[in-house]
Amino acid sequence: MNDIENNSIAKKSKQNTKSLAIWTGTWLVSLALVAFGPLLLWDYHQAISLCAIALNVVMGYKMIMVNKQHLEDLDELQQRIHLVAMALSLGVSMVFGAVYGLLESIRLVEFEPNPSGVLFVMGISYAVGMVLAHRKYS
Amino acid sequence: MKNRFKVLRAERDWTQADLAAELDVSRQTIIAIEKGKYDPSLSLAFKAAKLFDMQIEAIFQAPEST
Repeated sequence: MNDIENNSIAKKSKQNTKSLAIWTGTWLVSLALVAFGPLLLWDYHQAISLCAIALNVVMGYKMIMVNKQHLEDLDELQQRIHLVAMALSLGVSMVFGAVYGLLESIRLVEFEPNPSGVLFVMGISYAVGMVLAHRKYS
Repeated sequence: MKNRFKVLRAERDWTQADLAAELDVSRQTIIAIEKGKYDPSLSLAFKAAKLFDMQIEAIFQAPEST
């Protein structure tokens, strides 16, 4: 019998996780360039900002494709676990995002709601979903 | 759904990691199937049947209907 080192799904998962980490990091760096580059590097030059945005979109596309491949290469139980986590994350983000966007207009808060707050909730709810699904199947 | 994964694996003196490698799934999947917490897909069930050289119904038993 093969041992776990020869398990092709384990190998693929390791490679895909590494690839996903690299492309997520690259996307984050390109996002930081869009956020801080105009102020710190090129004094709000529009053409350069547009190039930075294009680069960010390309990096984002690559990250999405690598993530898709990562999910496709998981086994059926791992895919189900991610599906549960994604369902929770999507639902919570939608409910939270809808209410959060209304807070200022109904005068419950003074500040303008920042869309990045939804990303934070999405990440946290995804992580919670992963933990719950792992516990369910272990 | 009940299954005989654990017994069949033990009879062959295989570890969960061995069986996972043969079926090309994670060890977590084998653990979940053995504990009855996860019912495998039809394709994985056929793969297991071929590996154990048995009929699917000799490995998996559907719960009795009430």
